[in-house]
This record gives sequence, C-alpha cells and structure tokens, in this order.
Amino acid sequence: MKKLLTLVIFAMVLSFGVAAFAADYPSRPFEFISPGGAGGGWDTTIRLTAKVLAEEGIVTQPMPVINKPGGGGGVGLAYLQKKKADPYTVIVYSPPLLLINLSGQTKLSYKDTTPIAMLINDYGAFAVPKDSPYKTINDVMEAMKKDPKSVKFGGASSPGSMDHLQFLQVAKAAGVKNLKELPYIAFQEGSLAALMGGHIDLLSTGMAETVGPMEAGDIRVLAITAPQRVEEGPLAQIPTVMEEGIDTAFINWRGIFGPAEMPDYAVKYLEDSLAQMVKTDGWDEVCTKNGWTRAFMGSADFKAFLDKTNTEYKDLLTEIGLYKGE
Amino acid sequence: MEILGYLSQGFALAMTPLNLVWLVLGAIMGTVLGMLPGLGPTTGIALLLPLTFTMTPDTALITMCAVYYGAMFGGSRSSILLNVPGDGAAVAACFDGYPLAKKGLAESALAMSAIASFIGGLLSTIAFVLMAVPVARFALRFGPPEYFTLMIFALAATASISKEAIVKGFISLTLGLMISTIGMDYQSGVLRFTFGIMELQTGIDFIIVIIGIYGLGEVFINFEKLAVKGPGVELKKKFGRIWITMEQWKRSWLPILRQTPVGFLIGVLPGAGGTIAALMAYNNEKQISKHPEEFGEGAIEGLAAPEAANNAASVGALIPMMTLGVPGSGTTAIMLGALMILGLQPGPLLFQQHADVAWAVIASMFLGNVVCAIINIPLAGVLVRVLAVPPRILYPLIVGLAFVGVYTINFSTVDLTLLMIFGVVGYLMKKFKIPTAPLILAVVIGQSMEQSYRMSMMLSDGQLGIFFRTGICNTLLVLAVLSVIWPFYSDWRKKKKAGTIKK
Repeated sequence: MKKLLTLVIFAMVLSFGVAAFAADYPSRPFEFISPGGAGGGWDTTIRLTAKVLAEEGIVTQPMPVINKPGGGGGVGLAYLQKKKADPYTVIVYSPPLLLINLSGQTKLSYKDTTPIAMLINDYGAFAVPKDSPYKTINDVMEAMKKDPKSVKFGGASSPGSMDHLQFLQVAKAAGVKNLKELPYIAFQEGSLAALMGGHIDLLSTGMAETVGPMEAGDIRVLAITAPQRVEEGPLAQIPTVMEEGIDTAFINWRGIFGPAEMPDYAVKYLEDSLAQMVKTDGWDEVCTKNGWTRAFMGSADFKAFLDKTNTEYKDLLTEIGLYKGE
Repeated sequence: MEILGYLSQGFALAMTPLNLVWLVLGAIMGTVLGMLPGLGPTTGIALLLPLTFTMTPDTALITMCAVYYGAMFGGSRSSILLNVPGDGAAVAACFDGYPLAKKGLAESALAMSAIASFIGGLLSTIAFVLMAVPVARFALRFGPPEYFTLMIFALAATASISKEAIVKGFISLTLGLMISTIGMDYQSGVLRFTFGIMELQTGIDFIIVIIGIYGLGEVFINFEKLAVKGPGVELKKKFGRIWITMEQWKRSWLPILRQTPVGFLIGVLPGAGGTIAALMAYNNEKQISKHPEEFGEGAIEGLAAPEAANNAASVGALIPMMTLGVPGSGTTAIMLGALMILGLQPGPLLFQQHADVAWAVIASMFLGNVVCAIINIPLAGVLVRVLAVPPRILYPLIVGLAFVGVYTINFSTVDLTLLMIFGVVGYLMKKFKIPTAPLILAVVIGQSMEQSYRMSMMLSDGQLGIFFRTGICNTLLVLAVLSVIWPFYSDWRKKKKAGTIKK
C-alpha cells in the first residue's frame, strides 16, 4: 500500500512537474547554434532569425547565437547530441546535414535531430565566362554527352556536396551518362575568380554569388535550379533548368532544428513562433535583402520532405560512387 | 583629374563626425585584437557584424576596413615583445623583431614596425586609387597552375634562406607539408589522418601551429632557462622614447619601398594574403642584403620589410572584393556578406551605383592609416613596459592568452590539445636549432599548393605541360630556380674574392 502511494505521489509530482515546465516554457534563455563560422550562410540565417523573433516581440527570452563550426556542420551535430531532449537548444541546417552523413563524414544524420520548421529556400546557378562558347545549359549538356571530359566544371565545395550534386542532378535529368567521369574541380577560395579568368568552363554556385559579376558583364548565368523564375531583380531574366527542357529542380533549403527527443511542447512553441515570424514585415525585409525565397514548412511536413530528399541525394551519390553511408 | 574630385567627395563623407568616431574605434579594436594571439581581423569583423546591420553602408564598411588594417598594425606588437605573433601575417615580425627587443632595442623595433606599416599602407592605398581595376584584372589571370608555381617559388625561397642549415631547413619544410595534409582532401572528399576526430576534418588552422610553435615553444624554452640558471634574468628597467634613429631609417627605407609592391600584388591574389606576403618580403630582403648573416639576429630592415608588405597586402586584398565582387580571403568574404545584407552589391557596379560609398571607404583608408600610426606610437610606449614584468608572471599570462586565443578560432577543445602538441614541437625545434620559418610557410601554403596542383592536373587531363602554359608560370618557375641557386652563388663569389685577396 505504502509502495503504491509513493508511486502515485511520484507520478503526480512527475506529471505536475512536466506540466509546470511546459506551462511556463520558455522560462530561461535559448541557445541558438550556428554549425558554421561567423558570416556564413548558416550563421546569417540563425542570427537574423533570432533578431526578427526578438524585434517583433515573438520570443522574449534572450537568444544568444554561438558558433560550432567544423566538419562541414558535423561538429555542431555532435554537439547537439550532448543536448538531447533539451527544450532550449536550437540549430540551423541545410542540405549538408544530409550530405555529410551520406558521404560518410559522420555517422550522425538528420534522424539525430528534431526538425522544427523549414524557413527559406535558395537555388543554385550555373555560370560561364562571358566569352564562353556555351550559350544555353543545353549546349553544355550536349558537349558533355559527346565527351564527358570536355567541360571542366567547378564549385566552392567538396565532391559530393551541394555545388557538385546540384549540377549532377541537372546533368542526369538532361540525359548525360557517365556522371562519374565528369571532371569536378573543388575550390575552397576563389571559385568565382577562376571562372572570370576563364580557368574553368562552368561554375556551379549559389544564385546570390553570381549577381554582381553578372550585372557587370563578366560572366553569363545560363540557368538556375529553381522550380520557377525569380520574380524581380537581375536574376529574373535567367531561365530555370525546367524552362530549358530539363525536368528537375534543386533546392537549397534552410531550416531550424532541435536536438533529438525534444519535448513536444517545445517543438510546438518554436514552430508556432517561427510561423508567426515569417508573416512579419521584419522577416520580409530580411528575405528581400538577402535574396531568400520564403518557404515555410511546419515540423511534420519538413520531416517528410527530409525523408524524401535524403533518398534522392542517396541515389545520386550512389551513382557517382561517393555514397559511404550504411 | 576626375579621381581627385571623387576622392575629395570621399573625404567629405568619411570625415563626418560619426564616421570618424567609428574609424577610430575600429582602428583601436583592430589593433587590440590583432595584438592578442589567435584573435585577428576575422574575429573582429565577425564580432562587429551584428552592429553593422544597424549602420549606414559607408559607416559599416569604413569600420570593418579599419578593424582589418588595425589588426595588421597590432599583430606585430606581441611578435616583437614576446615572440608570440598576434596573427599569421605577423610571423615574420618575430624573426628580427624579437632579437631586436632582446638587444634592448624594443622601442626602435616597435616604432619601425608602425612606421613601415604606415608607409606600406599609405603607398598601397595610393596604388589602389590609381590602378585598382587593371590590377584586379591581372589577378584574374592566376588560375590553378599559376598558383602552384607561385607556391613553389615561395617554398624554394624560404628553404634556401636557411642555407646555413639546409638539411634542417628541409626537415622543417617537410614537417610543415605533412601537417598540411591533415583533413579532408578537397578534390576527392577523402579524409586523411583524421583518426575519426571530426574537428580534424577541416584541417589544422595554421594560427594554432604558429601560436604553439612560437608562443608556447618560447615559454617552454624560457622555463628551462629559468630552471637551469635561476631567476637571474635581468629585466628592462629604463625605457627610451618610441622612435628610430637615422641609421635605422637609412637601412630600412629602401627595403620598405621595395617590398610594398610585393605585398600589394600578393594581397590582390585571392587566397594568398598577408602571411605569404610578409614571409616573401623577408626572404627577398635577406637574399639581396649585403649582410644576410645579420638577419635573424636583429636586423632592423628584416622587420621593416615584412611589416610594410603585410599592410600593403591587407589593402590589396580589398581590391578583388570591391572592384570585382570576389572575396579574396576569409575576412573579405565576411565583409562581402555584410555588404550584401546592407543592400550593396560589391563589384564593378559599386563604383557606379554607390560611388559615394566606395570613395568614402577609399578616403577612410588614408585617414585610417594615419589614425593607426598615431594610436600605435603612444600605445607602444605602454606596451613596451611588458618587458619589465617578471617571467613568473609574464609567462603564465602568455600561456593563458594563447589558450584563450586558440579556443576562439573554432570554439573547440581539440584545438587546445593541438596547441600543446605544437608547443612541444616548437620547444624541440628551438632546442635542436631547426629553423621554424619553412615549417610555418609550408603549413600556410601546403594545402592550397597541393590542391592547385591537383586542380591543374584535372584541368589538363594529367598533362604536366600546363605548368609552363603562361608567361606568369614560367617567370615564377625561373625565379624559384634562381632563389635556390643565388645564395650558393653569392657564397661562392665571396669565397672566391676572399681567396684572391689571400693570394
């Protein structure tokens, strides 16, 4: 009897404890993490998210941002594992979250996180030097079909990561065989300078990076990987790969994640806060300035999206022999 | 003179009270951050980033630039006084700056470094105004094969300056190249020598190597001295004026003028930067000097030349970002990102669409160099008092600073372990008199040298002929061969002369 009573009291205390915890959540500061260095894409996204959340009065607790760079985001992911079930830890990620696992850089994967919401999309762009013989993306694909080694293409990330994959996905959809033989040159710095100097034939990169040199006439952008055209600005004249008859799109999504086993009340709170944030003028302004496409997606949809995307990346990596997961 | 008109408008905008205040604050912040080991311009600008979101574009850019070249002024303070470089670009200031301080000439060394920095910065700002665009276009002609030959030249020059101990020089060089292979191979995505440690995937940051080998290594050597000889180290008690003598100026003015263009041009090349510029300037001066034996023992021109070159490089590095919209270094990449958030698109159109901002920034570089020089001379008078601090207080402080500085690079404790390892390596190298400069240069350029070789091979489908494809490549290769032969040739000539006199 005594035992049962203890158990009941224990259960009551426990449930009360959880309820109280959930009711006055958030009651202490959050920890926002950028898995990359200051000034990069991840860092900018999470800092501006924290800024808008605070300025619009949606979240009143402080949201300091810390940087956990290294391992292409893997260091941040490992750090997140120490925070399992913590309702106050929030991190930002994009396709590398899936890719570092698929390419064998880390055993941890997106399954070791709790997806909270997708915030924005960005797209890839394919650019050539101004005097390039290639006038359309299809010219490039034709050349590659004839001789896979004829077009030297480069990007600013390692093989099997975003710049490489976005081009391969388009090449595959265009019917180029032997994806493995296409010479991809990975730059750490100066990829745009190498293109402008004519040292490579094509650069696979992000849309925003191409705007300045394109407006100045130093490079030509052949196509972007967005599902539809950009509505305004200099990129509005650039066709999508779909318009060019290649039926695919590559999305550089960015979203907010929590640690694995994050309590439901915390996921709900953050999901709702972010849903509210993306409707504010402050967020509009941030997106316009950075050239981001708004693409909000709640926790459940985001999870499903990640499952689907992970399979796509995995197939592509398997085809070029870079898949090293298990 | 269209340019003068633009420039005077630029000065008008740069001299508004708010911009001046931020210019001075930025310069001070840069100097202080540059002084602290591990913290450098990148950290400074990253810290400022949230603040710049609230500024107007001209103020933001002026502040960030001030932090950037302020750090170049500050970086060498600790090199000279403590033999601990504040950042990569200040390594070369250790070679002769620290021996000068040991000889009791710290005041002159600090003054010379500020003066050389000032002249280097000023001249290259003038060069920026006159020829930014053609220089940026020229830099575009550097593709992977050109970079590879440039790195070969840099390595050959460094290995050959240690001709007194050529075998030890090569040991040091090889060790450096080995360290640079750690991490992910960028062309294949394969992990090398990471032993499952995720923090090693991005390789070892060269700042950790520098602080370990110079900072901790120096501390360990001194611990040993203290243990053997007891605390009988004489501390500096009298401090002179922070200025240089006429004789020192006579020895240094030509090296400063010679190495400023070198630094400027290397700075313009994306990915090369201040460290390579400073090391090359040092090598060049040692090779053409009439008394190379004084280098490393406290030759004032051996301090002046790299100091002028690294400031010139920091101005040069802004060129590809401002004129082409292409970031040349980590720091300028962050600046580029900040500008885009502020709604400015750096690149050729910056000078058309936002000419006022662009010229205000250039004008602020003139002002900034003056401000930095003014800050640094009196500051040196305070800093030099560090030499009066007893070792039992000073060395633990250096160790503390080294650890804090290294931690702030990646916020990773793995780096602290690495720091200790390199501290021991530095101690052993000093103990066995192995030169450290080749190792440092190899670590700095090893990775990009290997990668540019591999990229060239992919571009040429494996044909080695690509390394002779342009005049730039061939010139650099000839220079590399010459720099190896030259010290031996001049040695031989001296001996021959000595021989004929004997007869």
